[in-house]
Amino acid sequence: MSNREVVAENLVKRYGDFYAVNNVSFHIKSGEIFGFLGPNGAGKSTTVAMLTTLGLPTEGRATVGGYDVVTEAAYVRRIAGVALQEIGIDPLMKSLELLTIQGRLFGQSRKEARARAEELLSLVKLSEFTDRLVGKYSGGMRRRLDLAMALVHEPAILFLDEPTTGLDPASRRDIWHEVRRLNRDHGMTIFLTTQYLEEADELADRIAIIDGGKIAAEGSPADLKSGIGSESINLTFTDSEMVNRAASELSAMVDRLQADRQVLRLYLTNAAAAIPAVVTRLQQAGIQPASLTLTQPTLDDVFLKVTGQRFQSESEQAEVA
Amino acid sequence: MSVYTESIGSIQKLDERAKTMPFILQVIMMTWRSLLTIFRTPAAVIPSLIISVFFLLVYDSSLSRASTFLPGLGDNSYLGFILPVAIVSAALGGAGVAGQSIVRDIESGYFDKLLLTPVSRGALLLGTIISGALILVIQTSAVMIVAVLMGLQSSTGILGILGVVLLALLLGTGFAGFTVGVALRTGNAAATQGASFLFFPLTFLTATFVPVSLLSGWIATAAIYNPITYILEAMRAMLNTGWDAEIMLRGLLSCVGLGVAMFIFALISLRTRTRLK
Repeated sequence: MSNREVVAENLVKRYGDFYAVNNVSFHIKSGEIFGFLGPNGAGKSTTVAMLTTLGLPTEGRATVGGYDVVTEAAYVRRIAGVALQEIGIDPLMKSLELLTIQGRLFGQSRKEARARAEELLSLVKLSEFTDRLVGKYSGGMRRRLDLAMALVHEPAILFLDEPTTGLDPASRRDIWHEVRRLNRDHGMTIFLTTQYLEEADELADRIAIIDGGKIAAEGSPADLKSGIGSESINLTFTDSEMVNRAASELSAMVDRLQADRQVLRLYLTNAAAAIPAVVTRLQQAGIQPASLTLTQPTLDDVFLKVTGQRFQSESEQAEVA
Repeated sequence: MSVYTESIGSIQKLDERAKTMPFILQVIMMTWRSLLTIFRTPAAVIPSLIISVFFLLVYDSSLSRASTFLPGLGDNSYLGFILPVAIVSAALGGAGVAGQSIVRDIESGYFDKLLLTPVSRGALLLGTIISGALILVIQTSAVMIVAVLMGLQSSTGILGILGVVLLALLLGTGFAGFTVGVALRTGNAAATQGASFLFFPLTFLTATFVPVSLLSGWIATAAIYNPITYILEAMRAMLNTGWDAEIMLRGLLSCVGLGVAMFIFALISLRTRTRLK
């Protein structure tokens, strides 16, 4: 049985008095997509550096595929594929050269490395651009080549540090698609850091929210959201008298309700499934709502709850500024 | 106590299915890749080549008359005496290429990408160092050709000229190791460039313009401890006075010693970099 787990145990990275990563622990199971979600400077990249042997932990320990990242670093490097936030390609080289060297360093023969390189170039749709120095590639092309380099040796465990930061929506969806495919078809365990809530929500089986070097919450996206509280059905009426009538009709069906001028909020678990019953009941009572919306907790609400602040991604900050 | 301790201990390890290349092939591959990028930016190499030819021309034309009253020189040509200085200066300038290419790799992120592969750290650094030294061989050869055109007659023939080139290669390895170490510590092009100048005093605290026997005072003392002295002597012997086993051995040992010391410095710098990252 092969082990594709990533385990961190009280990891600490300290620079002087500053704790970039402060006592972080998690246990990623084989074949899981684990989302490491946090704003800029939360400690995501530092954690990736330690797990991938680029940086040494100040304290604590971690294993990747069962190998200790400090004492068995050479083995970790053989089974892990890594695409860092900072793209790692030499602008003065060509894609085929980069991929072939990469393959050769992972022990492939000249022929194998060449074949694998061509296969990957077609996978990331760069086959036509092999004659060009990669320094002339666009941002999206570089990102795809960088990902291809991480996949040369068919890693058991893939580390993706903010793989879609700075990409346009179409390229981002391409990467999402590829991440899912690698996970599904190759059983790769994927450690994915992101500063996008929707990305973590979309891809990850399990999420850890990191803030200020510490893990603030951990669980599946659904669990994290349901931990926030129940969903709500929001009904709007044309006058407040109707709100009161609706409230008395519906109070038995919900956990809790709240009237706020012309809006009535119904809090209940599994709110979506309860909508038909609510509508039927109102029709029977002859009450016609002006609108009906469903509110489900988002990861942003989770973030707000565990860190006490709204999640703000880099792009949003840029817009504010 | 951590809750994961038990599970870490009981985890089965993945097969070590991936092989790695033999060390020597890794070095060759890294050297090749480094040369590839250096040749794609010839502008990085050409200036130091021009400078070393310039040194040779200037030293020879401004100082060659002095040879008539330099007692230590005897009947030998000043060209053969000053040529090694031009070569050592070239080695200093050329060695910067190795450090700069590490800085370039750090800046592009490719250095980290390589660190993430199973490539040996030693091979990774040696590739850059050797490619820097090979560039130096080209430079040294060019300087030698200019010297021969200027009338240099090696007293040990073509073998001596090759010997000088070999010493330059070894010396270049040492200097390149130093600049690579500085590059790894600073990750900064300007700092790496600046640090290469630290070696310049070494080329003057020695028998640069006159034989050792003419030096006096603290410079004479410094020259004794300066490995460059013995490298210059070995080169000069080959060009001017003929083979001398003891001088050759001292020169060779100085080069190798410097090379090994600087390679270790570079390796330690890489380790420090990892610890701080």
